[in-house]
Amino acid sequence: MKKLFKYTELILYKTYADLRAESERTYLGFLWWIFEPIMYMGVFYIFFGILLGHRTDDYVPFLLIGLTSWQWLKSCLSHGAETIKGATPLMQQVHLPKVVFPIILVLTDTVKFLFILSLLLIFLWLYGYGIGITYLALPLILIVQMLFVLAGTFFLAAIIPFIPDLRFVVENILLALFFMSGVMIRSDIVPAAYQSFYYLNPIVTIIESYRNILMYNVWPDGFSLMVISIFSLICIWLGAKLIGRFEYIYPKIML
Amino acid sequence: MKQEQPIISLRNVGISYKRRILSEPFWAIKDVSFDLHHGETLGIIGRNGVGKSTLLRMMAGIIKPNIGTFINRGYSASLLCLQLGFIPYLSGRENAILSGMLMGLRKKEVKAKIDAILEFSELGNFFDEPIATYSSGMKARLGFSVAFQVDPDILLVDEVLGVGDEDFRQKSTKVMREKIRSNKTIVFVSHQAAIIKQLCNRAVWIEEGVTRAEGKPEEVLAEYNKFLSIK
Repeated sequence: MKKLFKYTELILYKTYADLRAESERTYLGFLWWIFEPIMYMGVFYIFFGILLGHRTDDYVPFLLIGLTSWQWLKSCLSHGAETIKGATPLMQQVHLPKVVFPIILVLTDTVKFLFILSLLLIFLWLYGYGIGITYLALPLILIVQMLFVLAGTFFLAAIIPFIPDLRFVVENILLALFFMSGVMIRSDIVPAAYQSFYYLNPIVTIIESYRNILMYNVWPDGFSLMVISIFSLICIWLGAKLIGRFEYIYPKIML
Repeated sequence: MKQEQPIISLRNVGISYKRRILSEPFWAIKDVSFDLHHGETLGIIGRNGVGKSTLLRMMAGIIKPNIGTFINRGYSASLLCLQLGFIPYLSGRENAILSGMLMGLRKKEVKAKIDAILEFSELGNFFDEPIATYSSGMKARLGFSVAFQVDPDILLVDEVLGVGDEDFRQKSTKVMREKIRSNKTIVFVSHQAAIIKQLCNRAVWIEEGVTRAEGKPEEVLAEYNKFLSIK
């Protein structure tokens, strides 16, 4: 128990330190966490909203909600995959539970995501969407997605040190997932025959839940979210077990 | 004294590394046995690349042996790590806290020691500047000052005694020697016979991952030097 406190304290301080280091690295500092997504969203607004003429329908908000949620997941998974491998020099000098490294990364990327989420909300309000009662479910979706992200990050971080080549596969799997997760399309476009498979992907449900809340003021499907949460919690537990199993092996892997 | 139970025991310990999952293991340590007693300064001597650092890592609880037995009877052991986890864009103060926490201190423990760290490092106003602006000597001073505050039951030291520019080197060497002479349990690794002879109560000579001699420093070093002259 005492150890848990100690490591929680370390995780929080390291998260703070990493965020501060990142903001100190540039002239504008943490303002980039705001400007960068504005530019990113701007590109999509110009292309889809103005160039392809989606200015009046709801495609731009639809897309930005998907992208915001997706970017959070993607940055955690692709950065998180490298965390244990990247910490090798550190872990060769002190004993630390290796599971702290992916947790720190997920936390720093989540803080940055919260900036983007706030921007998204402001954009949606300016676009004309109101705040409905279903906003109450928003924290819940965030937690569900965070659990899902943690589970995936744990697994990737656990195996990448042994098979560094997987990094390239991961990038492409993420690209494939991007297309299969309903970031850009409505689920009714997917042929009926594939619908049930399509919904096996938890990200589809997560992104749809955001849209239901933020655009349509509809309550998300509690049952699916519960299933995803339980599944994620089991995977987090398994992932942590896996990392724990290799606790004393990781510092032995030669770079 | 000798009848006391050793605080750490190694019996026929072997440690291997692998480059790839399927590749042949490389045995850094093949067959090492020795004991460490409370309050002594044990010197481990051997040429570069004979597995001394690997041994320290095992004693620090970072890795485990592949064969043989390693027993630590409940004592904390850690490496003297200089500049552990330093981040260039953070201030000396923040790095001291981070580094101390990584070495196993609680945040409030580091904070309680922060004045001592500041004083010993002689960084003055630079303490709150990003360490990216430091000279390498200043960084070394900060690194040593933090590491010196961590006080495990068993301190594991790899080669380094003093660091930094000339003045600080003398000062840090002096405090390290004081610590070594005190009743603290220390394992000191080096390839320099002279330092081992000066500082240690007992010595172990390791060659190619195997213990070749253990005992009084003079006797072990005599054998080591004989071996070197034949080589």
